[in-house]
Amino acid sequence: MENDETKIPQLDKEGLSHKSVNLWQITWRRLFRRRSALVGMGILGLLVFIALTAQWLAPYGFDEVLIGKENVSSREKPCIHLLGCPADQPQHLAGIDGNVRDQYSRLLYGARLSLMVGFSTVTFAIIIGTVLGAIAGYFGGWWDNIIMRFMDVLLAFPSLLLAIAIVTVLGPGLINALIAIGIVSIPAYARVMRASVLTVREMEYVSATRALGGSNMQILFLRILPNALTPLIVQGTLGIASAILDAAALSFLGLGAQPPTPEWGSMLGAERNQVFTAPHLVFYPGLMIMLTVLSFNLIGDGLRDALDPRLAHSS
Amino acid sequence: MKRNLYALLSLLMLASLVLAACGGGAAATEEAPAATEAPAAEEEAVPDINLATYDGTSLSVPAEECNGDYIGEFQSIEATDDHTVVFTLCRPDPAFLSKIAFSVYSIYPSEWIESTAGGDGTRTSEGLEAPIGTGPYMISEWNRGESITFKANPNYWGDAPAADTLVFRWSSESAARLLELQSGTVDGIDNVGPDDFDVVRGDANLSLNERPALNVFYIGFTNTFAPFDNQDVRQAVAKGIDRQRIVDNFYPAGSEVASHFTPCSIPGGCEGDDWYDFDPVAAKEQLAAAGFPDGFSTKIYYRDVVRSYLPQVSNVAQDIQAQLKENLNIDAEIVVMESGAFIEESTAGRLDGMYLLGWGADYPHPTNFLDYHFGAANPQFGNQSPTYYEPIAKAAQIADPAESAPLYAEANNALKEFVPMIPVAHGGSGTAYRADVTGQQASPLGNELFSAMDPGGRDVFVWMQNAEPISLFCADESDGESLRACEQVTEALYSYEINGTAAVPALAEKCEPNASLDVWTCTLRQGVTFSDGSAFDASDVVATFNMGLNTGSPTHVGNTNAWEYYDYLWGLMKKPGQ
Repeated sequence: MENDETKIPQLDKEGLSHKSVNLWQITWRRLFRRRSALVGMGILGLLVFIALTAQWLAPYGFDEVLIGKENVSSREKPCIHLLGCPADQPQHLAGIDGNVRDQYSRLLYGARLSLMVGFSTVTFAIIIGTVLGAIAGYFGGWWDNIIMRFMDVLLAFPSLLLAIAIVTVLGPGLINALIAIGIVSIPAYARVMRASVLTVREMEYVSATRALGGSNMQILFLRILPNALTPLIVQGTLGIASAILDAAALSFLGLGAQPPTPEWGSMLGAERNQVFTAPHLVFYPGLMIMLTVLSFNLIGDGLRDALDPRLAHSS
Repeated sequence: MKRNLYALLSLLMLASLVLAACGGGAAATEEAPAATEAPAAEEEAVPDINLATYDGTSLSVPAEECNGDYIGEFQSIEATDDHTVVFTLCRPDPAFLSKIAFSVYSIYPSEWIESTAGGDGTRTSEGLEAPIGTGPYMISEWNRGESITFKANPNYWGDAPAADTLVFRWSSESAARLLELQSGTVDGIDNVGPDDFDVVRGDANLSLNERPALNVFYIGFTNTFAPFDNQDVRQAVAKGIDRQRIVDNFYPAGSEVASHFTPCSIPGGCEGDDWYDFDPVAAKEQLAAAGFPDGFSTKIYYRDVVRSYLPQVSNVAQDIQAQLKENLNIDAEIVVMESGAFIEESTAGRLDGMYLLGWGADYPHPTNFLDYHFGAANPQFGNQSPTYYEPIAKAAQIADPAESAPLYAEANNALKEFVPMIPVAHGGSGTAYRADVTGQQASPLGNELFSAMDPGGRDVFVWMQNAEPISLFCADESDGESLRACEQVTEALYSYEINGTAAVPALAEKCEPNASLDVWTCTLRQGVTFSDGSAFDASDVVATFNMGLNTGSPTHVGNTNAWEYYDYLWGLMKKPGQ
């Protein structure tokens, strides 16, 4: 009985009122005790910091061509003063890219894009998926049949292939890639939501609300939805990782972000031919994608464990 | 709290809907110009009239048509005996030998031409994949997607090739080609990546051959679209792009900034004034005077393929984008198109922005560059100006370079004034071979002949190029990767000297003109047999040209039936219907 979440709530200093510990605080505490989740949050925190402060952190603009400004040439190796690069040469932590721009600055600005891609596509997919799944689960019958069969059709395609098909129709571009990835991730959330709604639907408190005369909307959004949210959060966190990966893949294929946008996938794709002559141009964007995806996966794993009531006392 | 959740949900929904709507809207506006332009392409419905008559030893059009609507060059092609062919032209052609040496005009056996002409409008698969010729090799097997294997032709009239077997492979990635060469699985590769030149030079097991820059990379405009309908805008863009910077950063050694559309290494290629110097201040002023002091928005179209005139297309596109923004405040969006669609749209003049395209020489003469691009009828740059197409047409009929030089100077100066495009660079490229290969080649025209190379005593020579041939029926192909494969198998009356551009006799011992350059008499090599054992004679030559030029002939069937080079260099034997 030493776990925080099982302690009886303490009186505060005045000894008058006490605050109850809600689910989110419990989850938060559990999450903080998981080392892998902490690492994930650490990396993500760093990335968010980079994304927010890219314009101050980056020594150059992401589209600033250094021809004529500095004595550097295309695809030059990294020059780091700490590692013995002569001090009279300008420092380029990640080298120079094929268009004579500072790769390090582009990597920093890329964090902004990738996080934006991850959050916006998943938000889009969660909203649509939740509504569809909730309707299917709550009303059942032919609503359920139509919506879920349509989701099955979407799931039948390999997700990247479907995204490529959608982008081909809409035309290449970052926004269109986001829409495509958003659409292909809808079914996962719809399914999760429907399953949760089905379990919560028959609970006593739902029946009670209905007996009190609550409308369908009230029951669905105020009673059922909040209680079906936890699996969605886990799915969403893991979904951000795959959305970022899909966006990078689309950009690598030239269907996503268009130049000179510093998207990691497109940076990787643009220099794939130089993998032997200028490995730094392929290595760093790849590393950044890996770190971002890893951080979301670690957090997602941690969240899943933290939110699982069956694991509540095991940690 | 609950109300907040509601509000948040509805807000996010709304936001996503707006996002979706905007995305859809953008796509719709992109399609609009294409839809309005479409009718221009489908004007002519009247079928052309075929003018050719062919009887096995003679192919001709009525002599009076030469002064009529017939725009082709050949009046007649006649086999006067077994080993003499007389070409009678409608007008003098000083470049005849250079043109007849082009491998598209390789000679096939007349029986084979008939037997492989499929009834359904295309060649039979045998005709497309296993051509019969007189060359040093013959096709053994084409393993689609993998490789083409050639075997030495036992009937070849010249020196037998050093390697009995020749294998063609391909990879679009320059890094992959170099890796194969370094690991020794191939003996030679085409188009070494610009950054890999030093790698190859530094490797004692490899050797590099630089290919002279006989090509041009240009930025095209279609002057029927605003704001490129304004000559001042085009001139401003021409002055506002630092071409030296592009060549310095994105081209291999041996490349040069284009002073004219035609490379200077082609005789008579760069008459007239040099192109504009880079002058951002003057460019900005001119753009402001033309009514765009704050620049404008446009697009840069390209296809993501490697050609020797444009080895790093995506980097060049991005640099042009950056330069336009920096020097002229022009916002250019980059649009990558599929290769076939890009060629179709750009050559039909349907792209509403700038486009990045180039041209590699087929034969070393200014007509090959200027006539094709700047003829009056070419819609590629929108409306062509008579200030240059008239002198170009006049110069094409003059044999003496000294006499045609002033006309080419006039044309080049008019091009500089009118700016239908901006010539940027003549791109160098290179081949690399294993160091023990003797007789290494890097042909300026891209036609390496592997029979003249010895792969260090090995039996098999493996060559790796950029792409798989489209078909091996090269009479109806225009793609260099296909032509190179055909050149190992088939031969024309003349050929180009190894590693050079001069026309040297091949199946003809000599071709001689009359004094006015409009009758060329070719004496054919005797005792030559095709790889299928049939004898080569003058009727095969006439049958081959009948196949290419006579639109009414049952043998006038190819792969796509575009007959691009027969049409463009000689003109098909037809005239437009009434």
